[in-house]
Amino acid sequence: MTHPFRILVATVITITALAQSHAVEWGSIKGKFVLDGAAGEPAAINVNKDAEFCGKHDLKDETIVTGEGNALANVVVFIYAKRGQKLEVHPDYEAAAKTPAKLENKGCRFEPHLLALRTGQPLEVSNSDPGIGHNTNASFVANPGFNEMVTNAAPIVKTLEKPEPVPAPVACNVHPWMKAHVVVREDPYVGISNEKGEFEIKNIPVGQHEFIFWHEGKGNLRDVKLASGKTDRRGRAKLKIEAGKELDLGEIKVTPAALGK
Amino acid sequence: MNSSVRIFCGWLSLVGVILLGGCDMPDAPQFRLNMVQMVSDATPTPPAYQEQIANVLDGMFGTPDEPFALPETGLDLRKLQMAAGPAWTDDKGANFGLYRKHCVHCHGVTGDGRGPTALFLNPYPRDYRAGVYKFKSTYNPARPTDEDLHRVLINGIPGTAMPSFSLSPQAELESLAEYVKYLSIRGQMEIALANYAFNDLGEEETVDDKGEPVLDDEGEPVMRLIPLDPASDEEQRTVITELLAEIMDPWNTVNEQIIVPEEGAIPVDNRPAEDVAASVAKGRELFYGIRANCMKCHGPTGLGDGQQDDFDNWNKAHKQFLDSLASSSEEDELTGTRDSVAASLYPIRNAIPRNLRKGIYRGGHRRIDVFWRIYAGIAGTPMPGSGPASPGAQGTLTEEEIWSIVDYVLSLPYETPSRPLEALPTNLELVN
Repeated sequence: MTHPFRILVATVITITALAQSHAVEWGSIKGKFVLDGAAGEPAAINVNKDAEFCGKHDLKDETIVTGEGNALANVVVFIYAKRGQKLEVHPDYEAAAKTPAKLENKGCRFEPHLLALRTGQPLEVSNSDPGIGHNTNASFVANPGFNEMVTNAAPIVKTLEKPEPVPAPVACNVHPWMKAHVVVREDPYVGISNEKGEFEIKNIPVGQHEFIFWHEGKGNLRDVKLASGKTDRRGRAKLKIEAGKELDLGEIKVTPAALGK
Repeated sequence: MNSSVRIFCGWLSLVGVILLGGCDMPDAPQFRLNMVQMVSDATPTPPAYQEQIANVLDGMFGTPDEPFALPETGLDLRKLQMAAGPAWTDDKGANFGLYRKHCVHCHGVTGDGRGPTALFLNPYPRDYRAGVYKFKSTYNPARPTDEDLHRVLINGIPGTAMPSFSLSPQAELESLAEYVKYLSIRGQMEIALANYAFNDLGEEETVDDKGEPVLDDEGEPVMRLIPLDPASDEEQRTVITELLAEIMDPWNTVNEQIIVPEEGAIPVDNRPAEDVAASVAKGRELFYGIRANCMKCHGPTGLGDGQQDDFDNWNKAHKQFLDSLASSSEEDELTGTRDSVAASLYPIRNAIPRNLRKGIYRGGHRRIDVFWRIYAGIAGTPMPGSGPASPGAQGTLTEEEIWSIVDYVLSLPYETPSRPLEALPTNLELVN
């Protein structure tokens, strides 16, 4: 291919991209998840490996994590994108897309318990437990899985090329209680509720989107009542994002049954 | 069934003499759906989709008696035809229906590892439908090579019910390996279709002739399933072609994923005894150290009595399904099916780490076989890889270190555990 042609193509692409980024307007979404009932105390982990080290961390089952006032943490909210469909991405997300997403083996658990990253963004798995050997075993639907030793010396670094339709499980087989999930999406529009039950996703392109609500307990959260309507049988809800506005879903009540309790 | 009966029955039906009877033909075997996938929380698949997925698979892969392979799969239809169908021998002595003759009692018609004998075997026969194989020469997530499948057919799997087929002619082994690949690709397509139907099709609001939404008595929109029907939907056809290409790519590029040891690091043959002893000692140190961390699962004495609480991927999938069923109180159209799927499952088994003192190596006892196991780990199981995870990546251990562990592991059957001074781990504080 000749150079002038290449430059021409590059210019056309740049202009198109610029034109698009100017045309798009952005809005946000937020909400707060609350557990509507009791899930019971999280079970203590039976630490039967590396008990001397792991045993001192007061490890609990992290499938359902609640905070003050029954706030429900670790609910994942993300946007359904049809195969091959790409959402416009706000320039604010550019820098973060290159920063490695970090998953740490720390105190014989994964930190964080839920991690969102984008396709092409490095995933860095490290081991901060001195003298403890961990392995990291990730199972994906769309990407090839991996199962490797992670030492104190150096993190393992992975790049995932394809978006995953659901958060993908990550485990350590030496310490089978250790579980985490990674949410791999092409776009950055993933919200994970914190210990106050709150999530927020900023700078979403305006328009109607199909949001997916997911929790580790039983996967997609179906029939969850929202301010208007409810999630469907697949745990999705069509919501409209308006320019310059933040859609507040308010308090979203999730029953223990929806989490498999 | 032998060929003369086939021909006789064929002739009978040709002339339409059905009433005569006498040909007690059993129903042709059918492929079974992957019901654990269909009722899982990840892809709850309504009966209508189950039927449509079965239809699409039928179109793409044919039936157990009449297999079919799209050119995109690169599968050799003649090899498949030799393996498929009822077992019979032609008048020249050529064997057909090889899969049903040799494999089906354990691995099942569908390759789901659920043949009639499967329940009585430990380990359970392999379920091919995920395309995941344990004993291979490639990086952990990669598919096996043809040669890997061939090696398992020749050697069998020592310590399991899988026998050796080394007396079978080469052409028959090639036909069987091709058929096993075919069952894997078909099984992978089934999982991909379940994901596609759930994620990208599903329900939509029905509209009347004027494009207005149809509402029920309570004013809620009436929903309908978007049918999975690639024959009449071009977009679906394109997606399914893409899905097949995504499944085929790792199979087609598997030769780029073979782990070839560095020449320089391979221990030479006929090493002096002191070199072997030094390598064994180094391997032993690594075995007990935290970088290789073998001891945590294989146990401080290598008896496989370390971490025994975990599961391989096949048992884990069943366990997750049963757990989710136990905690579910909701009723839906799949409730009854879930119960019957649960009842059909065999008892869940833990993944028990290999007892390294028996001298039985399932994936082969050659040094290179043990090297591959340590380098790549064992796909589908808790065993992690210690070498680079893909071509060009950084591994935890060097190849030289891996060869030392090979030396140590191969020495274990001859090191008696009843000599505690020698058998004690080098760093006792880590053993618990």
